[in-house]
Amino acid sequence: MGKIFAIAKLSVLELFRKKDVYVAIVLALVAIVPLAVVNAFGIEGAVRYIREVALLLVWGFSVIICVTTSARQIPNETQRKTILPLLAKPVSRAQIALGKTLGSIIASWGALAMFYGCYIVIAGLKSGIWIEPVLLQSVILHACFAALACSMTVCGSLALTPSANITACLLIIAGGLLFGDHLPDLINKAPGLFRPPLIGLEYVLPRFELFDLRARVIHSHAPVPAGVFLFILLYGAAYSAVFMGLAAGLFKRKQY
Amino acid sequence: MTQAVVCHHLSFTYPNGHQGLHDLSLSIEQGEIFGFLGPNGAGKTTTIKLLLGLMKPTAGDLLVLGGKPAEPKTRAAIGYLPEVANYYDFLTIGELLSFYGALCGMSRQKINDRTMELAQLTGLETRLKTPLRQFSKGMLQRAGLCQALLHDPALLILDEPMTGLDPIARSQMRGILENLRKDGKTIFFSSHELSEAEIMCDRVGVLCDGGLRWHGPTRDMAGDGSENLERKFLKIISEGK
Repeated sequence: MGKIFAIAKLSVLELFRKKDVYVAIVLALVAIVPLAVVNAFGIEGAVRYIREVALLLVWGFSVIICVTTSARQIPNETQRKTILPLLAKPVSRAQIALGKTLGSIIASWGALAMFYGCYIVIAGLKSGIWIEPVLLQSVILHACFAALACSMTVCGSLALTPSANITACLLIIAGGLLFGDHLPDLINKAPGLFRPPLIGLEYVLPRFELFDLRARVIHSHAPVPAGVFLFILLYGAAYSAVFMGLAAGLFKRKQY
Repeated sequence: MTQAVVCHHLSFTYPNGHQGLHDLSLSIEQGEIFGFLGPNGAGKTTTIKLLLGLMKPTAGDLLVLGGKPAEPKTRAAIGYLPEVANYYDFLTIGELLSFYGALCGMSRQKINDRTMELAQLTGLETRLKTPLRQFSKGMLQRAGLCQALLHDPALLILDEPMTGLDPIARSQMRGILENLRKDGKTIFFSSHELSEAEIMCDRVGVLCDGGLRWHGPTRDMAGDGSENLERKFLKIISEGK
C-alpha cells in the first residue's frame, strides 16, 4: 500500500503545485460566493433558488475537475517520459494505475470539500440551517460519484487519446446525470431495433444519476433510507473497483 | 563468476512490423562494465527496455540477475538511468529521491541517508531544495544518476550516461562508475561514444540494425593498436550491412 500512496501523493502534489485545480476552484468560488449576497426578489423561495444554482455549479465544476485531472494522469507520464524511470522501479503496473486513480480521487475530494464548505456557509447564512442529514448524504454520495468518475476516466485514458477520453467521459457522465432517469422510459418507447443497444447501455454504463441528491437538498426533503443509501455506496464502490481492475489490466498490456 | 544478464535468441518486433532486435544472444558477467555500442537506431534502447521489462520480447529468453525483468522483485536490484533526463520538474531533488525511495520500499531514514550520500557524490548537496525545473541538463543527468543509485542496485543500466555532461562532470561520472565496479556492481552501458567505452568498459558489444555484430573484450576490439576503435567500429558496422 505504501507504494500506491506514494504515487497518489505525487499526483496530488502535482495538481496543486501546477495550480491546475485552482483555476476551476477559483472559477467556482467566483460563481458561488456572489449568491450569498443575492436576495432574489425578496421572497421566501430565495433560499431554494440559491441552493439550486450553487449545487448546479458545484456539480458542474466537480465533473470537470474529476475528468480533466484523471484523464492526464498516465498520458502525462508517457508524454514527458517520466514513465520510464517510474516503470523501472520495483513497482507493478497495477500499483501505478491504482496510485494514479487514488491521487485523482483525493484531489477531487479536496476540491469537493472546498466547494461544499463554501456552499454550506452560503446556504447556512441564508437559511440559518447549516448541515442537514440529507446534505450530509448528498456530500457522501457526491464523493462516491467523484471516485467512480475518476476511476472511469483513468481507465479510459489507457484505451483512448486524452482528448477523445475527456470528450467521451464528459458525454457519458453529463448524459447519465441529465438523462439517466429517462432511460427506462426511452427503452420502453424505442422501436424494437433500438431496444437492445439501449438496454445494453442501461446495464453497462454506471447510473450516475443515483448519486445526485440535489433535488432532495434543494427542497429539504427527508434523507434517503439508510439501506438505499448504503446500496448506492456499494454500487459506486463496485463500479470503481471494476474500472480500476480494467485500468490495471490495460496498463499491464502496454509496451513502452 | 555468475551472470548478471543472459539472453538467448532475443528478438523484438514493433507492432508496425519493424524489427527492433533480432536474435540477440549475450551474457554479461557480474561485476563487469559492458559497453553496448551502435549507431542511432541500432536497437540499444530497445534492448534496454527489454532488460527493464518495459516491453516483452517477441521471441527468445531473457534473465536479469536470475529473474524475469517484468517481475518487480527483479527490478528491485536494477538501477536505470534513462537517455533523456526527464523527471518531475515540480519536485526538488530531495522530494524526487523520497518518491523513488518509497517505490523501492526504503525506510524514511535510509532514504535521507542515501540522499545526502548521493548528493555529495554527484555535487548536488547544495541543490537539495531547488526545484528540478531550475536544473541544467548536466545537473538533471546527475539527479538521474542519484535516482538510479538510490536503492544500491546490483546492476546499473545506463542509457547514454554522458549525454549533456561537461568534461569535468564526465570525468566525475567515470570516477563514480569505476568506484561502483570496485564495489562489485555490474554496469550495462549504452553509448555511441567510442572513446568513453574504450576508457571504461571491460567488454563491448556492437549492435547494428537490431543484430549483434561483434562482442568481446574491449582490448580485442581496439586490437594491437594498428587501427583505432573508431575504425574497427566502422568496419564492423559496414560488414554488418
